[in-house]
Amino acid sequence: MNDKTGKIKIKKKSQAGDIWRRFLKNKTAVLGLVIFSIIMLTAIFADLIIPYDKGITQNILERLQGPSAAHWFGTDNFGRDIFTRVVHGSRNSLLVGIGAVAIGITVGGLLGSVAGFYGGKIDSVIGRIMDTIMSIPLMLLVLSLVTALGNSLINVLLAMMIANIPQYVRIVRAAILSVVGQDYIEAARACGTSDFAIIVKHVIPNAVGPIIVQATMAVGTMILNAAGISFLGMGIQPPTPEWGSMLNEGKQFMTMYPYIVVFPGIAIGLTALALNLMGDGLRDALDPKLKD
Amino acid sequence: MSKYIIRRLLILIPTLLAVIFIVYFIMDLTPGDPGTLILGEQATQEEIDAKNEELGYNDPFLVRYVSYVGDLLHGDMGESWQSGRSVMGEILSRLPVTVTLAVGAILLGTVVGILVGILSAVKQYSFLDFSATAIAMALASFPGFWIGMMLILLFSLYLGWLPSFGAGSFKHYILPWVTTACPFMASQLRMTRTSMLEVIRMDYIRTARAKGQTESKIILRHALRNALLPVVTILGINFGALLGGTVTIETVFTLPGVGTLIIEAIRSKDVPVVTGATVMLASFVAVLMLVVDVLYAYIDPRIKSRYMKK
Amino acid sequence: MEQTDKILEVEDLTVVYNTDAGTVHAVNGVSFSINKKETIGLVGETGAGKTTTALSIMQLLPERTGRITAGSVKYRGEELLTKSKAEMRLIRGECISMIFQDPMTALNPLMTVGEQIYESLDIHNERKKSPKELEARVDELLELVGIPARRKTNYPHEFSGGMKQRIVIAIALACEPLLLIADEPTTALDVTIQAQVLNLIEELKEKLSTSMIMITHDLGVVAQTCDKVAVMYAGEIVEYGTLEEVFDRSRPHHPYTIGLFDAIPSLTEERKRLKPIEGLMPDPANLPEGCHFHPRCHQCLEKCRSGAVYRYEEGTHIIKCNRMEKGVQDGRVD
Repeated sequence: MNDKTGKIKIKKKSQAGDIWRRFLKNKTAVLGLVIFSIIMLTAIFADLIIPYDKGITQNILERLQGPSAAHWFGTDNFGRDIFTRVVHGSRNSLLVGIGAVAIGITVGGLLGSVAGFYGGKIDSVIGRIMDTIMSIPLMLLVLSLVTALGNSLINVLLAMMIANIPQYVRIVRAAILSVVGQDYIEAARACGTSDFAIIVKHVIPNAVGPIIVQATMAVGTMILNAAGISFLGMGIQPPTPEWGSMLNEGKQFMTMYPYIVVFPGIAIGLTALALNLMGDGLRDALDPKLKD
Repeated sequence: MSKYIIRRLLILIPTLLAVIFIVYFIMDLTPGDPGTLILGEQATQEEIDAKNEELGYNDPFLVRYVSYVGDLLHGDMGESWQSGRSVMGEILSRLPVTVTLAVGAILLGTVVGILVGILSAVKQYSFLDFSATAIAMALASFPGFWIGMMLILLFSLYLGWLPSFGAGSFKHYILPWVTTACPFMASQLRMTRTSMLEVIRMDYIRTARAKGQTESKIILRHALRNALLPVVTILGINFGALLGGTVTIETVFTLPGVGTLIIEAIRSKDVPVVTGATVMLASFVAVLMLVVDVLYAYIDPRIKSRYMKK
Repeated sequence: MEQTDKILEVEDLTVVYNTDAGTVHAVNGVSFSINKKETIGLVGETGAGKTTTALSIMQLLPERTGRITAGSVKYRGEELLTKSKAEMRLIRGECISMIFQDPMTALNPLMTVGEQIYESLDIHNERKKSPKELEARVDELLELVGIPARRKTNYPHEFSGGMKQRIVIAIALACEPLLLIADEPTTALDVTIQAQVLNLIEELKEKLSTSMIMITHDLGVVAQTCDKVAVMYAGEIVEYGTLEEVFDRSRPHHPYTIGLFDAIPSLTEERKRLKPIEGLMPDPANLPEGCHFHPRCHQCLEKCRSGAVYRYEEGTHIIKCNRMEKGVQDGRVD
């Protein structure tokens, strides 16, 4: 009903507890959290699950074998174990996804604070640049950056990050504008509180909710885009296992050996799905008014 | 209204210039000089230098940018470093495929996404709602190009109903359209549903009920238009994602579109072609966003009157 | 027929909301009736169940959560609660109309105000009037509520709050309903506009011989507009009577009513401080036993803490309070 009170929520400890409880009530969100935790643990303990060698050593004798007890997901055209490659590939995908979003939030948050807080010319200049970046389809932006900077994990990460910045600039800027005009901020300024302190104390709590939701979803989107880039043969290069490049390599064999492309795709999809479920659950938990 | 459209068109010009600037700037970072790439290893340094000079490669960046834009106004995007053919010509020969793909996918995604989104909201918590949101969630999570591969496996290889590559006929486009539309449709569906659920709780819907209006008319006349506002807002961003997605999907279905042109050009370091094609697609998105903005003003009188006053 | 004079009879109405936090008892056995041309005031704090009562009469409770569990609502002797959705639709707007609290959100932002008034007429156009006649009626209605007819092509955002509420009133009165429910029609407006809108409602009600339920927390509004008053607390009517009965300070009253009167400033009486009613409205999901008001009551008796509450009745004046029972005055606990 009341929009203003709905949007601006300053989270206190009890509120965080409430949000967490509401999140736990949401079965699909918890499912997402569980799946994502498993994937994260897989990425962290990949070496304990299965040695990296099996996914990287070529073994022509065992090439293109279907799923079996020895090779759960089968082997690829070089005789490498696909299960191992999927498990170890999670590292690169998650690294690109989480890395791009984390740096994006930092840089975007900083630019957004500056834009929202100081307004005027700085704001419009930052706004224009961000609008322009946003109007270029992300895939194209990343592709051209990778072309120009060269194929490497760092460059894909950098490209993704640049493409990621504008949305956080927008969120943080909006959060700032929603509090800046208000009397208590003027009061704090009048009392000599530094701008930095105001941002930390009043603005960040307001922006945290939408940023977490956006970031959760964005990690998924970035993983999808990173997979798309490596599917096109850019970015991370074989033999390093990466889900997208596995699909690229497997593409020519898929008519005869579909399992080659099925498993890496499911890995990408499950990760993004888990993140989307979590993001949705978080949004509902932060803003429960839509529930009844 | 026409005043508003003209205003928006005028704003489009700096946006396009900025888009071109960014793309041109990024592509300019590419290592290597055109002379070497065009003439190959065998050429002497003098020949290469002469070629670079001829192409204006040694001019300062801004000069080259301005002359690029100047040429662009005459429909000239330079020549391909690989084939030597006009970049504009190459793009134009590929454009119909991409436009067919994009427009079909947009129509399909919008119609299905919005329709199912409305039904889903009106019948909240029903089986239909549950399955629609679940499918949308899955479509939004799995990579489009992978969904395309799975569709090829199912419809082309096992069932043999549809071709898996090429752009010969309507039949060739069915799978690419569905594939391209998937994430777009999912996003439209989710947005429509959420927005519709929000609008249904609004006071003016209660006012309409208090008038004795029928439920179907309340949905169609009152709720839908209001619910579509946020859907239209994200339409522009979705167009961008959709056009970006055509690059991978054209690759999966080996469609001879602008997307595959970009990929081929990137592989052969054909900078003018990458620049031109990216500029073309990005401009396409910018124009679509303009259309969306105008559409927005058309459905929301609050925006319209704001611009009328100015 | 005997009942022709009675426009609306609400008998033992009980409404619950099923929410995540449990069952909310929003209205608990509310009864009142309205005669032709009469105005009844439903008074009480936010959360007392006034709006829920109104929405129940209109059958506009939130479908998923709100449920009428008992009682009856009769419109001119006809039971409304058993009517089908389609039948109820014909009643709404035509026979019973409602003015909502917040005019800022009550109008569709994407339709011109003319279209919105026209819609009201068009829905209940039994006599098959031509669009031209309906348009003429729209003009007439706008002029009636004091807005130039030429402004009918404007959108809601082009009007001020007071003007929007006038338009809402025009929509509600478009079909000349016999009963008008006004849910805090002036609360969201500027004080200067409040009186204007209130006068307009009064004037139109007289003109159209409409009965009215005036929902408000403002006793001044009640004094100005109502014939009968029902004081609501925690989903119950705790005191019910004619305006004179409830406003006559020499008569016995429910402690809550006294509290309400003490909480408003008075020009005639010299008082140092206003006396607010201490405490808060109880959580409707978890109502206190006995008299729901007892935790806040200054005159709480031991027996108020549990069991049924005594119902005092003298003519039309009804008070639900154990202190009205004869001979209990001594057992007072403080």
